[in-house]
Parts: sequence; structure tokens; C-alpha cells
Amino acid sequence: MTEVPGIGIGLLAYTRRMRLLLLAIALMSALAACGGSDVDISDVPELAAISGDELIAQLTESNEPVVVNVWASWCVPCRSEAPLLERAARQSSVRFIGLNVRDDQQGARSFIAEFFPNAPIEHYMDTSGDIPVELGGTRGVPLTFFFAPGGELIKLHTGVIDERTLALQIDEIAGA
Amino acid sequence: MEFSLLGAVFVAVIPLYLVIYWEAKRGNAASCARSLWDVALAAMVAGIFVGRLAAMIGDGVNPLQNPADILIVRGGVATGPATIAALATVAWLGRTEVLAYADGLAAAALAGLGGWHAGCVVRESCLGTPSDLPWAVAQGGSSITRHPVEIYAAIALFIAAGALAFWRARGRPRPGVPAASALLIAAFVRLLTEPMRPSLGTGQRWWYAAGIAVAIVALVVSMRRGDQPDQPASDTR
Repeated sequence: MTEVPGIGIGLLAYTRRMRLLLLAIALMSALAACGGSDVDISDVPELAAISGDELIAQLTESNEPVVVNVWASWCVPCRSEAPLLERAARQSSVRFIGLNVRDDQQGARSFIAEFFPNAPIEHYMDTSGDIPVELGGTRGVPLTFFFAPGGELIKLHTGVIDERTLALQIDEIAGA
Repeated sequence: MEFSLLGAVFVAVIPLYLVIYWEAKRGNAASCARSLWDVALAAMVAGIFVGRLAAMIGDGVNPLQNPADILIVRGGVATGPATIAALATVAWLGRTEVLAYADGLAAAALAGLGGWHAGCVVRESCLGTPSDLPWAVAQGGSSITRHPVEIYAAIALFIAAGALAFWRARGRPRPGVPAASALLIAAFVRLLTEPMRPSLGTGQRWWYAAGIAVAIVALVVSMRRGDQPDQPASDTR
């Protein structure tokens, strides 16, 4: 038979739990504040600006499949998928292009230094954010385009991409 | 906004709830003080949270510096740590009656997992490695036919969930045996279907193999214990 605690005991337990919860939140906030996120961007070159026509020309002339990931340093979901893209770029044989949109050089280079320090990804900058729309996408980030050799758009993935989807679509464009 | 993940979760939760409801009518876990539904939801939330943290740490992203990233579940959830956290939550909430809770949730958990795999239809992520089998399907605009691997897993898990629920209703297995069987089946189905899933080399095969090993040990221990099977109770929950 389970004993039902009285109101006083229940309230005491509740207060204790609340204190513990607040303490945990305060501890996490303190740790988060202590952990600096400054990264050295001196090794990261400035991102070259690119126009929609130039990027489309690159895709059309490409003899290999291309994954174009649209990202921004202020985009939280982009941070979430970045480690996966970095791993995929290292492992797969397709070409990866990173298109930074509506961002500044400082933010973009910090992001690259943090997430793509040595990944074989060519990064370009589109401060207007119009190129994804010209490619057939939207103005939202993140976006991931999958192009077959010759520039045919095979798949557009909106939002954060997961490993299965990324692996499947890379397989699709590699076999296209 | 993209709500397909939410849709897939919904597809997973429906069979989970239905099996709990169906088994409750037959006096499942009637001795337990807590609702199995509440325990299942708590275990799911704990599993997703811990699995997400583990995936972030595995990817080199510090959860303390990027707390908002924890909410981006689509970014990845590590299956092994998530399973451990879910089982630990059931154990903690069950405490002295842990076997009754674990057994009570066994069939429902398999059904929920089957629903999660079936939710690939909502997420458009059912397809696996290329195949020439007659039932292989191609994604829109493609000529490459592929295994509908998540559907395979969903079918296997739904059948197993039904069989386990039926066994519990009729066979009255020893305490702990249904839970260990469910873990064994879930890990085995995942291990069996894993080679058919497209991957970037971060397969979870070792986790599934470890799950099978743990389940076999739990199964042997449960079968050798002298406990009597649960008596079906008259009251329902």
C-alpha cells in the first residue's frame, strides 16, 4: 500500500525539487557562460561573393554530382546539421558547396572555423539571400540541394537534414 | 516550418497508446501504482533528451554552449544512449515493481517503435539501399529502385508486438521475460535491417549487438528465476 503524503510534506518535497531545478539551471547557465566560443578565424579565408548565374553555370558545367548546402551563422538549425555535413563531405565522393546567405564575413568565417575547419567544402557568400530562390528553393535556412552531373536538380531538402536522408540523396545523385 | 518529424512521432504514439489500452483491458500491470501511459511518455522524453545530448557530444557540439541545439531533434538522436535512458526511466519510475512495468510496456514499446518506422511515410524516408526485388520502390523522379527498409522494420515490429501481447494474454510468461524478449526483438530487427539503410558510416550495429547480448542475458536470468507469472487482475487501468 503506498502512503499518500500529507499536504505539508508534499509542499516541502515540491519546494525542494524546485530548488534543485533552479540550482541545476543556474549551474548550467554558469557553465555555458564560462565556456567561451571564440574561435581563431585567421586561417579561414574570406568567402568569395557569387551570383546566381555564376553558381548555376558552375553546376551546369560540373561533371560530378554536387550538394549545395545553404547556411548562415545566425541559424541555430544550421549549427545542428553542420557536423553531419562536415563528415559527409569528408567521406563521400560528391562535391560540396556551402552557400552562406544574409550573413557577414566575421560570422561566416567563425562558423567555418568552428564546424568546417578542414572539410572539403567550397564556401561562397550571398548577402542578398536570393540565390536559393533562383535555384528553386526558398529564403529559409537551412536548405540542401542535390544536383546530378550537368546541374539537374534531383532533390531539395528543406530544414535540418538527417544522416539517412543525406546518405540516400548522395547515393541518388551519385547514381544518376 | 517542417512538421514531418512531428507527424512521424504522432504515427509512433498511436500504436503505443492502442496497445497499452488493449492490454489494460486485460488487467495488464494492474498492480502498478503509476499509469503505464505516463511512464511510457516519460521514458520517451528522457530517451530523446539523453539521445540528443549524446548525439551532440558525439558530433563535437557542446550542449552547454549551444543549449538551443538540444531542441533540434532532427539533427540526430543517438539510439544507444536514448534506449539506456528510456530503460533507466522505466526502472526509476517502477522502482520496486520494475519488472511489472517493463513487462507491461514491452508489447506497447515494440508497437510504438514499429509506428516510428512506419512514420517514414510522413518523413519521406522509407527507402534504403538499391534493390531489384519486385516490391522495391523508387523515389519520385528517380529510376533507382530501393528497399523500403523502414517498412520492413515496421512490419516485423508490429507482428512481434501483436505476438507478444497475445502471449502475455494467453501464456502468462515469467516476470521479466516479455521485457527481455521485446528488447531482443527490437535490437535484432534493427541489426537485421541496418545493412539496408543508407549510412555515412556511423551505423549503430555495435549498439544493436550489445542490445541483443543484454537481452539474452536478461532472458536467461528471468527464465531461471523462481518467480511465478503475474496473475491476471480483475481491475483495469
